[in-house]
Amino acid sequence: MSRPGLTTACAAMLRRDLTLAWRRRGDIAMPVLYALIVTMLFPFALGPEDTLLERIAGGVVLVTILLAMLLALDTMFSSDIEDGSLEQLVLAPQPLALMLAMKILAHWLTTALPLIVISPLLAGMLHLPTSVMPVLMLALLLSTPMLSLLGAILVALTAGTRRSGMLLALMLLPLCVPVVIFAAGAVAASQQGLPWLAPIAWLGAALVLLLVLAPLACAAALRIALDA
Amino acid sequence: MSAALTAVPDHVILLETRALGFYRQDEPVFASLNFRLRAGELGLIEGDNGSGKTTLMRILAGLLHVDEGELYWRGQPLQREHCLGEVLFLGHQLGLKADLSPSENLQVAVGLHGYRAQTTLSAALAEVGLSGYEDEPVRRLSAGQKKRAALARLVLLPAKLWLLDEPYANLDRTGIALVNRLLEEHLARDGAALVTSHGTVSFHGGEPQRIRMHA
Repeated sequence: MSRPGLTTACAAMLRRDLTLAWRRRGDIAMPVLYALIVTMLFPFALGPEDTLLERIAGGVVLVTILLAMLLALDTMFSSDIEDGSLEQLVLAPQPLALMLAMKILAHWLTTALPLIVISPLLAGMLHLPTSVMPVLMLALLLSTPMLSLLGAILVALTAGTRRSGMLLALMLLPLCVPVVIFAAGAVAASQQGLPWLAPIAWLGAALVLLLVLAPLACAAALRIALDA
Repeated sequence: MSAALTAVPDHVILLETRALGFYRQDEPVFASLNFRLRAGELGLIEGDNGSGKTTLMRILAGLLHVDEGELYWRGQPLQREHCLGEVLFLGHQLGLKADLSPSENLQVAVGLHGYRAQTTLSAALAEVGLSGYEDEPVRRLSAGQKKRAALARLVLLPAKLWLLDEPYANLDRTGIALVNRLLEEHLARDGAALVTSHGTVSFHGGEPQRIRMHA
């Protein structure tokens, strides 16, 4: 009869979403393959010129990973709304925002983490110097959760609408501009041998802010979506 | 002794509506709905298609906002924080993940709500007639079996008030008997339940309170 604690509930949610992702492992591979192919197109389009590729490598990898994450974003809450799982989640005794944070975490683990893992390969294909790789990965580690969180808010806001995929992209991409600027700034600074800690610190600060606010915004938006 | 024990909670009014109304584009779906639901009582919500039965259920569950009138939970104006975990809602959408098995689905529900005393997951699945299907993905189950998997939540979770929207849909004769038995056991525990159905309900307990929906 005793109500489970928050840790138990969070673990149950996280386990559920990771199991669901594992049952559809093909979907996990899709953004990874997409990012690989898009990155491969750049040398073909621009010519295999080392200095040019080296200069654009950081930005290309960042934007490619952003677009790859966008592909997997609109499914974040849609299946839960369709099958009524979201209603059950809203009626659960735990705070909805926390449960949604677990869903966003699971989503980040299954879409962004594989992309971060292959990011050295992507950057290597574009001749990014090895010394810059750690900065690139650090920038990705901080910026991809932000994209997941920002995306989650917009997915929740567009939850009721049909064919929300394109609308989602149009809404999310402008919001990603500062994230891309700071992340690419850190990579470029490190490439030129300049201090890169400041943009990384900005990314970290923004991430902390979003970690707190985004789940609350998601919860409010989804309650409104159910109320319609 | 047992009579005295059941007599006291009889007076506890779990849920009360006062002049409850709901409007869709300024057209009333239903209006001035008044009823009281006591612990140990079953409310049967009756009405034609489109009379707002599901809407009422969603309002009572806290999924829709109240347009007009007041809602009281245990004598206090209803707020979501007061009745968290005490209300169990079973709607048209069953809230089951198709890629998970019935037992995995129930584990999530239990992770959020906890177990009712003296229940286990396997016993609950056996009670709803799903033994042998515990590890089958829900997508491979029939509509009736999916419904039964959702009904297992009624056995497992410790909620006080059940809001069951068309619980008899898709069920065969033994399934209907199962719902009736679960309801009887729940009322005997001093739980309360609201059930919508436009079919005939053959309930073998005491006479349920009939709530008629009208605009």
